[in-house]
Amino acid sequence: MLSAKAWSPYAAGIVIGLLQIPAFLLIETALGASSSYVTVGGLIASLVDPAIENIPYVARHVAATGKNWWQVALVAGVAIGAFLSMRLSGARRTSISPIWSRALGTESHGYRYAVAFVAGFLMLVGARIADGCTSGHGLSGVAQLSVGSIVAVTAMFAGGIAAAMLLLRRL
Amino acid sequence: MSLLTAILTGLAMGVVFGFALEKSRVFEPGIIVGQMQLRNFIMLKVFLTAVATGAVVLAVLNGFGYVKLQPKAAVYAADIVGGLVLGVGIALAGACPGTTLAQAGVGYRDALFTLAGGLAGAVAFSYVQPSIEKNFLSIGDGKLIVTDLIGVPYWQGALVLAALLAIVLFALERAFPWREELGSDVDGNRPAADARPAGSKPALVR
Repeated sequence: MLSAKAWSPYAAGIVIGLLQIPAFLLIETALGASSSYVTVGGLIASLVDPAIENIPYVARHVAATGKNWWQVALVAGVAIGAFLSMRLSGARRTSISPIWSRALGTESHGYRYAVAFVAGFLMLVGARIADGCTSGHGLSGVAQLSVGSIVAVTAMFAGGIAAAMLLLRRL
Repeated sequence: MSLLTAILTGLAMGVVFGFALEKSRVFEPGIIVGQMQLRNFIMLKVFLTAVATGAVVLAVLNGFGYVKLQPKAAVYAADIVGGLVLGVGIALAGACPGTTLAQAGVGYRDALFTLAGGLAGAVAFSYVQPSIEKNFLSIGDGKLIVTDLIGVPYWQGALVLAALLAIVLFALERAFPWREELGSDVDGNRPAADARPAGSKPALVR
């Protein structure tokens, strides 16, 4: 099972949903990912501009609290877990997904890297404005029936569908 | 809980999270872009299954009083604007903030640029945050959940949500069987036979 190339989306979804148990019981928080970018980004930025830690929002996120660093460890663990799963299944990946040459209409790696940087920037600006991402608002917020999260997730899919239809070529 | 325990807990949970993301293939750009182009529904299947599971889990934990809910405040303008911008980023990245790390973990090099862009975006937002906090980011109804609006206990609403999602997932699977959606290389990359001009070389040969 651990060396399977793919699991059913339902099995994987159940595993991910069950992670709410340790999140709520042990850390007293819901699954989330995007605030870790503020923690790590704020820390890196403080090397260049120490004054950034005077911004209360940054100070809150870089503080040595369990919740802040639990989430940083969580996303680091995601990279490790994905790596282990890939190695166990023996799947070989190219350095860029083959879909991008079709979606972007060019084989250029440089162009893809530039698009990825801009996309990452938009992703986190958006997630921080909305105070959550696909994990925090999506997985956790909707499961908690949070009104704001339902609004945010609807907007997320609306923005994603519009951009994928208008800015990318059909896969 | 000490900081070290929290970090070790996060790492362990993250490994499971990343493992499930990789096995479900939902972290693949082909699956995420395919979802946003409404041609592939694996992302929605994983997402809604995880939401339904989370709702059942929280119905039990909260219903029996073991945990308090942690909903985010409903800040409508910020939820809509932020959600739209986030969605555009997800489509162009072929990833979301969490799956970016899974992509980096399996060796997708562009994910490192998504990650760097994400860190830069978080820092840029941090500089602007104090000036938009009061007049934009925090305007709304506070921590509002649907069952409070209706006046029923959370656990009842959560179980209803899970049941509704189960019906949606059943219908989705009937319409789009997941094995077919994975593609021959389980990355959601399903080039149509006529998509490439005759004589051009295949996009990828392994």
